Amino acid sequence: MYKYSNIDKKIIADRTKQFQNQVERRLNGKLTEEEFKPLRLMNGLYLQLHAYMLRVAIPYGELSSTQLRKLAFIADKFDRGYGHFTTRQNIQFNWPKLPEVPEILDQLSEVEMHAIQTSGNCIRNISSDHLAGLTAEEVEDPRPWCEIIRKWSTFHPEFSFLPRKFKIAVTGCLEDRTALLVHDIGLRLIKKNNVIGFEVFVGGGQGRTPHIAKMIRSFLSKKDLLNYLEAILTTYNQLGRRDNIYKARIKILVNELGVQKFKSLVEKNFVKFSNEKLKLDKNTINDIFNFFKLPKLKYSSNKLPISKNKKFNEWKQQNTLPHKISGYSIVLISLKPPGKPPGDADSRQMQELANISDDFSFGEIRVTHEQNLVLPHVNNTQIYQLWQQLDILKLATPNIGLISDTICCPGMDYCALATARSIPISQKIGNNFKKYFDQKSIGDIKIKISGCINACGHHHVGNIGILGLDRNGEEFYQITLGGSAKEDAAIGQIIGPSFSEKKLISAIRRIIKTYRKNKKNASEDFLSVFRRIGIEAFKKDLYDNTRKKN
Amino acid sequence: MIILERKTEKLNKYKRITNEFFSANDFLPTSLLSLYQWQEIKKQGIKKNFQLAIEINSDESSESIKDSLKKFSMIQLNFKTFKDGRPFTLVKELRIEHKFKGEIRASGHILPDQYVFLLRCGFDTVEIKKEDKEIWIELLNLDNGLYYQP
Amino acid sequence: MTKKLKGDFFLLSANELQSGKVVFYTKKGWLPNSNKAIKIHRDDLSKYDDIFKKDEEKCIIISAKFVELDESGKIKTLRDKIRDSGLTIKIK
Repeated sequence: MYKYSNIDKKIIADRTKQFQNQVERRLNGKLTEEEFKPLRLMNGLYLQLHAYMLRVAIPYGELSSTQLRKLAFIADKFDRGYGHFTTRQNIQFNWPKLPEVPEILDQLSEVEMHAIQTSGNCIRNISSDHLAGLTAEEVEDPRPWCEIIRKWSTFHPEFSFLPRKFKIAVTGCLEDRTALLVHDIGLRLIKKNNVIGFEVFVGGGQGRTPHIAKMIRSFLSKKDLLNYLEAILTTYNQLGRRDNIYKARIKILVNELGVQKFKSLVEKNFVKFSNEKLKLDKNTINDIFNFFKLPKLKYSSNKLPISKNKKFNEWKQQNTLPHKISGYSIVLISLKPPGKPPGDADSRQMQELANISDDFSFGEIRVTHEQNLVLPHVNNTQIYQLWQQLDILKLATPNIGLISDTICCPGMDYCALATARSIPISQKIGNNFKKYFDQKSIGDIKIKISGCINACGHHHVGNIGILGLDRNGEEFYQITLGGSAKEDAAIGQIIGPSFSEKKLISAIRRIIKTYRKNKKNASEDFLSVFRRIGIEAFKKDLYDNTRKKN
Repeated sequence: MIILERKTEKLNKYKRITNEFFSANDFLPTSLLSLYQWQEIKKQGIKKNFQLAIEINSDESSESIKDSLKKFSMIQLNFKTFKDGRPFTLVKELRIEHKFKGEIRASGHILPDQYVFLLRCGFDTVEIKKEDKEIWIELLNLDNGLYYQP
Repeated sequence: MTKKLKGDFFLLSANELQSGKVVFYTKKGWLPNSNKAIKIHRDDLSKYDDIFKKDEEKCIIISAKFVELDESGKIKTLRDKIRDSGLTIKIK
């Protein structure tokens, strides 16, 4: 894992001091709320429906047990004993008090964490593959690159007041687990003629006008990474729209200019402003890579144990993946037990999980953008024991990748922007598809739920997307089908008129029925069937039935 | 309003031309022109070797001044709101692309919390309220010169 | 702020600057309970505009808003109801 240098420590400490000063100026009236808002946002502090919310960055999704313990401590001391893991590898605390926030930041800095640039119109937390460094098919570990970008983008003097927020993801695999193509910039490590570099995608995003990112460079040399990012940000800061908040993201600029024109402007800025000092030399890169070495793992031929325990077997089948080092497994921990808000973990779970990760996974934990956690290196011989401990903590729900493993935003229960609630919908889905056998027979499927058009719950890219709307004061839910956040990224298509909260679950059941009816064989998944038969087949089944019932 | 150059208050030698109708004869080397006034004057023709100052609002295009930068001893980039970050890039264009060596000043709605960013991007001076001087200097004092960017 | 409002009666609500908590304007000032909030007729809204602006300036509250009531005098929109009565879900 990355360890802070003295410079990192000083920079984070200074920021905490600076924010302390800003909070004091706000409390004594020297800063108006209008002036304070962008400053607090740049420190991850929002005002939600009931309280402030502090969003803490988990850079590229990597946590140590010490850090997780600190998050548990903060949840207990400054909040209501729980935290919420988000779709961009952050954790949110829902009830902090303004005068205490500098102290929370101080506590975080003790374990090399912060809330810097987790909000505001600046470059946000860099997100990455939660399996980074763990799989055999990876071209290169993306985490060191994320760290290099994290540094460059932190308090960037030129790019801290952009037209709108700016999100970057990096992956090292062709198989995408980062939602790369719905990021403002997506970087994919690739190998061409035996040289590793980046494919650069730009202009992806969700919200009210979703776009899949477009490639503007098929190969970018490693040394030029930061200069090229600067060129993209320069172009965006010059030309991104500031007249309309809904048109201010880079996706709109790329689309209005056309990708070719945008690319040529970026290339011009790349030539004009490239700075020798930003070029990355081998030593700098190697120094960062050294932080991300695997722990000392011993190759073995130990397989996962065979047990008579049905619950264990289900969990083993669903929640573990092979590690690139034989004899180890990657364990996924679902934060979607039936009836619980997706992505929430209470302080006891965090505390215990920190201990478990020390005992079973070298003190490492990962956070996924799908709001689950990962223990990256578990010895196959210890897996049963691990499962028993997770089960006690209600952290062994065997539903990774299945229908109840929804992505879900906080919705109107918490969020000041939401138009409908989303957590109760997720809970209903969880309760309706509780049995592992049922879920397994439906197979891999992604349901993603947003409580408003801003799409924090990624509904556009859900195989089934659910968008909560306000229709004359009543919650209604619009369904989209066929979205994907993976390497075959696609924006879902609206199936038709929306459903009341009451009718939503039966609508989803009917959609699943259409899928089952049409699947050619046991392994054909929902998205494949959708792509083969199209939306009309689903539409016909869904709305014909509804009419009869009415 | 006062002019601050790092921690030192500086005499503001520039004065805005406020006449609605004016000609090339009205301005002095100490005149601060708006972009519109500059475009008008440019049409009338400017004396060689004459220098003046210009103010560009953050929402105005600076394209029309880029071929006449030698005419300016000072360029004032006026923030319509502190949230409009375009001047942070414009100052880079002026300094790096156009090699502008004169004074670049930030004015308008700017926050002391932006002071270090302004200086690092290439601004020399800021125009601020006299009563805010202390907090601007205080926040500059918090800066210890440690940055992630070159 | 009053321009877009429909309806005849409103409550004045805000969040406390320090705690972020939801509060309502009552005869005794800002309190967490909507029951005691002053019912404001639309013709009087501008009078209350001044009240919250003053308290915003005094750094007591932020994000003030008028909460619309329905014909029976209850808070009208679901969002405002959730703001008033808290989460609709069990947390743990």
